[in-house]
Amino acid sequence: MTCPYLEYRDAGDGKTFDVARAYCTAAGEFVQPMRADICNDRFALEHTRDCEIYLAHEGGRAEADGRGDGGGA
Amino acid sequence: MAYEDYLAGEPVIITAALTGGVHGKEANPNLPETPTEIGRAAAKAEAAGAAVVHLHARKDTGERAFSTERFQEVTDAVRDRTDDVIIQHSTGGTGAPLEARRHPLYTDPAPEMASLDMGPLNRYDHLTSENTRGMVDDLYDEMVERGIKPELEVFNDGHLNEVLGLLDRRDLADPVYATLIFGGGTLSPSHPRNLLNAVENLPENALFNTLGFGPHQLPLTTIGLVLGGHVRVGLEDNVYYRRGEPAESNAQLVERTARIAAELGREVAAPSQAREILGL
Repeated sequence: MTCPYLEYRDAGDGKTFDVARAYCTAAGEFVQPMRADICNDRFALEHTRDCEIYLAHEGGRAEADGRGDGGGA
Repeated sequence: MAYEDYLAGEPVIITAALTGGVHGKEANPNLPETPTEIGRAAAKAEAAGAAVVHLHARKDTGERAFSTERFQEVTDAVRDRTDDVIIQHSTGGTGAPLEARRHPLYTDPAPEMASLDMGPLNRYDHLTSENTRGMVDDLYDEMVERGIKPELEVFNDGHLNEVLGLLDRRDLADPVYATLIFGGGTLSPSHPRNLLNAVENLPENALFNTLGFGPHQLPLTTIGLVLGGHVRVGLEDNVYYRRGEPAESNAQLVERTARIAAELGREVAAPSQAREILGL
């Protein structure tokens, strides 16, 4: 089951793309590629457990800032 | 490797980490994602002085791809557009199973190098890239089977212990090549003293490569140059050229590193030199 706040859009958040990309309607922005795996519940990931943006939104708390710890490896 | 290697003017290997898998064009529209874009970026990075390109694969949506087929498209696009650059595939993949992470090793031909994460690291608030010892050994054995040299990715000082453990468990070919990584979260804190400490704690005769995330890319790679090490730069690790100014390309970051190396008296290694240094 994918996240109910996931949409694929080619425009939004002040950006446009040739191919529609993962967009989080809860955060109001395109999401990082690794986050999109959480949105789509790929592998053993679950948005209800692993996404702080979803958890904050569902919990009615202030939205998480979506920060990461840096780049890839 | 040490300061004496800098004084001796030993050549420096520049690795360009072109795209990664964490962020994409939403962070910097100049970050390459499609095989064609990655191939073009590799060609420009090679022309700018990169001897090694570190590769990830993406889907058309920019999302992470682990399949051999997609890595084959990427590596073919790079080989078609570059002269002699060394190809290094990532086996990293937070949240992805071991089976998916083996796939980048199965391209034809196999990459000359592949990354091997030496232990766990956290991502966001709820993810951990596990990298258990069993997983490390499995990926390492697959690399040996296919003649691929591992690039040992050391995310923090504890992973230096894991390097020693791997050396106890397996017979790594000389020279051992470790990338020392600095940033937030689980990574070693980005400070020159921590780079010095990590270099001091490397196994004897190991080569090292310096990787600093974001604003730490420029200062830490520069210090790495002075310490006689090799360096990694690119949009995977840093999407800015300077504060508030997005980088135009991977090549722009490589060019800056090559300029600094030249000012410091270190020759930038061509791919053929890099192969000799790395024992490929």
